[in-house]
Amino acid sequence: MALSVAPQTDAPAVTCTIDGVEVSVPNGTTIYTAAKQVGIDIPVLCHDERYDPVGVCRMCAVDVGGRVLAAACVRPCEEGMEVKTGGAQVEQQRKVLTELLMADQPDVDPKETTTGDNLLLTLARRYATGHGTQRTSSAGTGDRLPQGRGRGEDHSNPVISVNHDACILCDRCVRACDDVQGNDVIGRSGKGYATRIAFDLNDPMGESTCVTCGECVAACPTGALVNKPIRDVPIRPREELKSVESVCPYCGVGCAITFHVDEERGAIAFAEGRPQPGSQSRLCVKGRYGWDYAASSQRLTTPLIRVSYPKAALSGDVKGEGRGRKRPGGIVDYDEVMPHFREATWEEALDVAASRLKEIHDRDGSGAIAGFGSAKCSNEEAYLFQKLIRAGFGTNNVDHCTRLCHASSVAALLEGVGSGAVSTTYGDIVNADVAILAGTNTTANHPVASSFFKQARRRGTKLIVVDPRRERIADHADVFCQIKPGTDVAFYNGVLHEIIRLGLVDREFIRDRVTNYGELAKLVKEYPPERAAQICGVDADTIRLVARLWGEAGAGVIYWGMGISQHTTGTDNARCLIALCSITGHVGRPGTGLHPLRGQNNVQGASDAGLIPMMFPDYQRVDHPAAQEKFRAAWGRELDAQPGLTVTEIVGSALKGGVKGMYMMGENPFLSDPNVNKVRKALAALEFLVVQDIFLTETAEFADVVLPATSFLEKDGTYTNTDRRVQIGRKVLDAPGDARPDWEIICDIANRIGLPMEYSGVSEVFDEMVALSPAYAGLEYANLGPAGKLYPNADPEHSDGTVVLFGESFATDDGKAHLVPAEWLPAKELPDAEFPFILNTGRLLEHWHTGSMTRRSFALDAIQPSAMVFVGVQDAARMGIADGDFVRVTSRRGSIELAAKLSHRETPGSCFIPFHFREAAANLLTIDEIDPFGKIPEFKFCAVRLERAGGGQPVLPDSVQALQGAG
Amino acid sequence: MAQGNGRVPGVEARAGKFPGPSLVPSLHAIQREHGWLPREQLVKLARDTRRPLYEIEGLVSFYPHFRTGPKEGLEVAVCRDLSCRLSRGHAVIPEGAVVHEVSCVGRCDQAPVAVVEERYPEALRGSERRPNDPYAGAGEHYRVLREFTGDPVAILNDSGLKGMGGAGFPTGRKWDMVRGQDAGPKYVICNADEAEPGTFKDRQILAEQPHLVIEGMALAMRTIGAEQAWVFIRHEYEPEERILREEIERARAVGVLDGVSIDIFTSPGGYILGEETALIECMEGHRGEPRNKPPFPGGYGLHGLPTLMNNVETFASVPIILERGARWWCEQGVNGGAGLKFFSVSGHVERPGVFCVPGGTTVGDVIALAGGIRDGSALGAVQPGGASTNFLGPDCHELPLTFEAVAEAGSALGTGAMVVLADGTDLLAAATNVLNFFRNESCGKCVPCRVGSNKAHGILVDVLERGGGATDVDERIDELEETLRLTSICGLGQVALGPVMSVLRMQREPALEGPRS
Repeated sequence: MALSVAPQTDAPAVTCTIDGVEVSVPNGTTIYTAAKQVGIDIPVLCHDERYDPVGVCRMCAVDVGGRVLAAACVRPCEEGMEVKTGGAQVEQQRKVLTELLMADQPDVDPKETTTGDNLLLTLARRYATGHGTQRTSSAGTGDRLPQGRGRGEDHSNPVISVNHDACILCDRCVRACDDVQGNDVIGRSGKGYATRIAFDLNDPMGESTCVTCGECVAACPTGALVNKPIRDVPIRPREELKSVESVCPYCGVGCAITFHVDEERGAIAFAEGRPQPGSQSRLCVKGRYGWDYAASSQRLTTPLIRVSYPKAALSGDVKGEGRGRKRPGGIVDYDEVMPHFREATWEEALDVAASRLKEIHDRDGSGAIAGFGSAKCSNEEAYLFQKLIRAGFGTNNVDHCTRLCHASSVAALLEGVGSGAVSTTYGDIVNADVAILAGTNTTANHPVASSFFKQARRRGTKLIVVDPRRERIADHADVFCQIKPGTDVAFYNGVLHEIIRLGLVDREFIRDRVTNYGELAKLVKEYPPERAAQICGVDADTIRLVARLWGEAGAGVIYWGMGISQHTTGTDNARCLIALCSITGHVGRPGTGLHPLRGQNNVQGASDAGLIPMMFPDYQRVDHPAAQEKFRAAWGRELDAQPGLTVTEIVGSALKGGVKGMYMMGENPFLSDPNVNKVRKALAALEFLVVQDIFLTETAEFADVVLPATSFLEKDGTYTNTDRRVQIGRKVLDAPGDARPDWEIICDIANRIGLPMEYSGVSEVFDEMVALSPAYAGLEYANLGPAGKLYPNADPEHSDGTVVLFGESFATDDGKAHLVPAEWLPAKELPDAEFPFILNTGRLLEHWHTGSMTRRSFALDAIQPSAMVFVGVQDAARMGIADGDFVRVTSRRGSIELAAKLSHRETPGSCFIPFHFREAAANLLTIDEIDPFGKIPEFKFCAVRLERAGGGQPVLPDSVQALQGAG
Repeated sequence: MAQGNGRVPGVEARAGKFPGPSLVPSLHAIQREHGWLPREQLVKLARDTRRPLYEIEGLVSFYPHFRTGPKEGLEVAVCRDLSCRLSRGHAVIPEGAVVHEVSCVGRCDQAPVAVVEERYPEALRGSERRPNDPYAGAGEHYRVLREFTGDPVAILNDSGLKGMGGAGFPTGRKWDMVRGQDAGPKYVICNADEAEPGTFKDRQILAEQPHLVIEGMALAMRTIGAEQAWVFIRHEYEPEERILREEIERARAVGVLDGVSIDIFTSPGGYILGEETALIECMEGHRGEPRNKPPFPGGYGLHGLPTLMNNVETFASVPIILERGARWWCEQGVNGGAGLKFFSVSGHVERPGVFCVPGGTTVGDVIALAGGIRDGSALGAVQPGGASTNFLGPDCHELPLTFEAVAEAGSALGTGAMVVLADGTDLLAAATNVLNFFRNESCGKCVPCRVGSNKAHGILVDVLERGGGATDVDERIDELEETLRLTSICGLGQVALGPVMSVLRMQREPALEGPRS
């Protein structure tokens, strides 16, 4: 969607004639669009309906009876206008324009040798202007125009090539980068004939701030911007490849992708975004370029059985010996680990896995078994996995990484509005007057969603960004509130206070649809902006401004991320956001609502499918008698009525000898969970561990049996994105070796422990899950279609589904929103003289969680190959740390060494480490304190010390120096 | 800031245009401080203003005034355009100086021009009052603004005054159109970005009659209901800018600018900014690339608001017309012409300079005012209205310089910049020089102008280098001329090949060539 406002249908119509055909169109319609309506195609190079027109290539010149021709792409129709889109004179100009552009084209066109869809060459063939060596001038004398080549090439980006000779300066890439993706990297440099497209300050693309989303490549009509082959799989014309419509395997945005597969090579040649109401053909670097992990030679292809006992970590890294080692690639050292396993047949491995788990279960009871599912697996797999643990082993000890991301958000949402799902979509921001982006590094973690946020702002939505880090999205904010880490509750209480004081609440909404408003008002009365400011560090006037913007808005929406949830006060943080929406009535209408941005591609679906210890599928509580009865009847087994243990609790239980046998499907808690040293002990303490994954993970080093699973790309299944959109991920590639789909493996184990699971395919599993999940009612595998469907959806055959929830009532028992006031509480481990810095952790755009996929992707690893700690420039200057210097970061739990990255985005006194890199695992440092409601660990706040590696004094940030000075 | 892009039919994509204040003043400030634009300063500017680096790159690389490297010694800029090329003189270049060629700096009366260290010479001011100045002395200035109470539009319409910047749009109609826009902020801009080779009359007016320019602008503001106006002046007119600033101060001091504001916007450079929408883009802080039209500035101008833009001479003509009436104005003309017209005359004449003459004065009479053709040579050709106008052959001696008559003769009155070429001048080389100017000054936005002007120039240079003439120029030039004329976004591209074609027409068919005297 371009930025332009589509001509309104109620706009007065103008009538004109195009090639003798009378056309009536809304005022403001361009000639190009009007012509298209009557089936007349006007040739274009710079124009694409995805972008607002610029009218620079002039190929669409048409005769409107003026002194000069008009550019149809940008010229509006006028009443009585007579347009001629063709004819000798018009065609002659197009021919000359084509010839002019062809004169400077390279002899070998980079697009012709890849996707073969160069629009300029198509026109050149049409006008017979020829090209390079095959140039066949209409004059028949060879090159008619002086050629001007040598404008240069740029191969500095690992996956995109730039050829300036092939560039016709159509500005499509500029608009794609800027108006669509909001990355603002590409522009024009120079003037006149010397003009080139340029990245940043005319820097090499690979060294610029380009985030390699590839939108420019998708936009380029010539060979100026083309994809490079990945893993030497040549990029060929689409019609020579098999196209598979699937979705992205990475984040919760769930972008729709077409994979183009080279069937001879059995490999993906390239990927493109495809239309879907949410992602609208956009992709980010991970989706467009990060799929080759599946082709890694390190894929597990055979079941493995451990031969080395007693059990312990196997590699130096995981043992904790290799601290600070900088191994390139940083993935598990297969040479070190593989000798401790032997290959096995599926029969043997499954028998061992099933019998050992069953043995522990029979001996020590249900509580001794636990399972970690995965938010990367499909709905069907999540459903079957929790069914296996619940019905097969009689325990609710089943959880997954939602515990590590949005468990607190879900806890607050279930308590407050009765549903853990989002109340509106990311795209609905376009209808909002104001949007709060809270604790979300959205450009890195939900890049495509962020593109809609940035675009909405350009259309007039006010963006309020609240985050301790000045993330890239803050550059787009109307108001940026750089709160001190861990002070969210104080900030939002200050805003709530001011909204109430100014009377900007929606009284009617509160009266009819909200409970406990009085308690909330009473509590936030104690948080006047001045007091809130003192705690959170955002000045009182800014807090007042936010309150006013939010309170006066006709429609306000909140999107939040891990910055809200990954705190010991995570649930309280989310409660504040719920209160913000509830007291102002910003729920249940277009452009309003609550949207926790989901991390994993299927974290919504996995939670929906019951992969959480306290709920059956669709959030039906395990301790609710009716739900008990319903699932007992459906599954034919007695079920545990007690909520099970969560991820962090299971780790704790394993340490104490409670949980003894574990089934780990696609999770790598060794790197993803807080306090790695504790996890290491817990994993080593397990009596029996089955790990089912696509790679040998750090966690697998502790496994007794390793089962090779198919990757996302090698199986069918449904996935539910952050918007509640249920989409089909289709099989793109054949599985390597003997690897098998997760759902089939689960069934085999279930059958071996006496829980029959017979399904003809994933659609049958999906249908069983839907039958037990009222929210999914109506959805069928067959009616999801190419773009998927939002739930709830009363009419999936004809409707995309419900965008906005809670229009009439909330999903709570009484239909009302339940406000829960929250007092601000400091983080559990505050900086002190010994550990003076605050450590924040999170992700990088290019990497995914523990890096097992992304670090095996050529593009992503090439762009972001190594671990780093982001240190504020002032803090770094005081410590004498230069960009790239190695520093040691130490907490009470561990110590790592990694390169310093100087950054203008940090709050002074805090630093940031992405947790993807096992060679400098951030979670060696993090604290395993958890939120009391969501049981989510505090990944976003612990105290550390920073020092130059190899000696040097630790340095105190200003804030602590001031404290000490004062003390 | 205007909502702007995308909401008004015909308005283009923002493509690199960012909302928010222009970064040009910040870039000027950095350059003042450092002498150039160091990278780390640009990165810091981007961070501080939260604007993309590429926006800064787009500006810095577009405007010749900005430099990305430190100075390398004494810098001398030498004009490469027609009037200077026609001059016989030689600029004396100091030894060791770093010499670079620049486009016309508007001192064609002093050709050949070399500018040392961007120190631009002042205009040579005559002591005589020009006939378009109604005031005998400074004490009378702004009388019209104080006393005139009628409807300027009606009088301007009757006077037939047309825009003197080149396009010749009727001034009264333009004022009326902007006046008729919905109420709300409107702007007035005086286009003092005179930069076409051979054109320097606006500089002379700014130097001699700044009060008339300011008065004309103030009258326009009152007429259309604007409170804010700017004079957009090329940075090479630094001495004239100073005079103008003093005049604005004086006007404020005498109380004729109460309630309104007139500021000066110094151009960061480039002929294209004289194109009104490019000028607006520049003022908004973007690359000075002309917009697709419609919409026109009168309805959708600076920041998307109605904007009245006139040339320096146009504004300077308004006070006397309003005071003495349309009829008086019309009566000033001769040979069927009307009013008064400034001409800058340069090239092969004895005394290049600026002359204010009755409308309809003949080519020969204007040349005579400039002292006749150098060395008593015969007339070879004339470019009557600046670089963008077609060459006229020697038979144009008696041609009255009115919009209509010149158009009928196949050229245009344009900016009133008459470049005179003596008999024997290589006209194809001269026309190629003119094309070279347009090629150099093309903004590069649209394909025909960006690529076409370059290719055409290449073809012609090749012909000239091989010692060829008009008959060696093949139909490719004709095709390119047609494409540039019909498909370029703005006037620059549309006319870039016009002068070349006019010479080719003269020389390819000798039968039609005018008689030589």
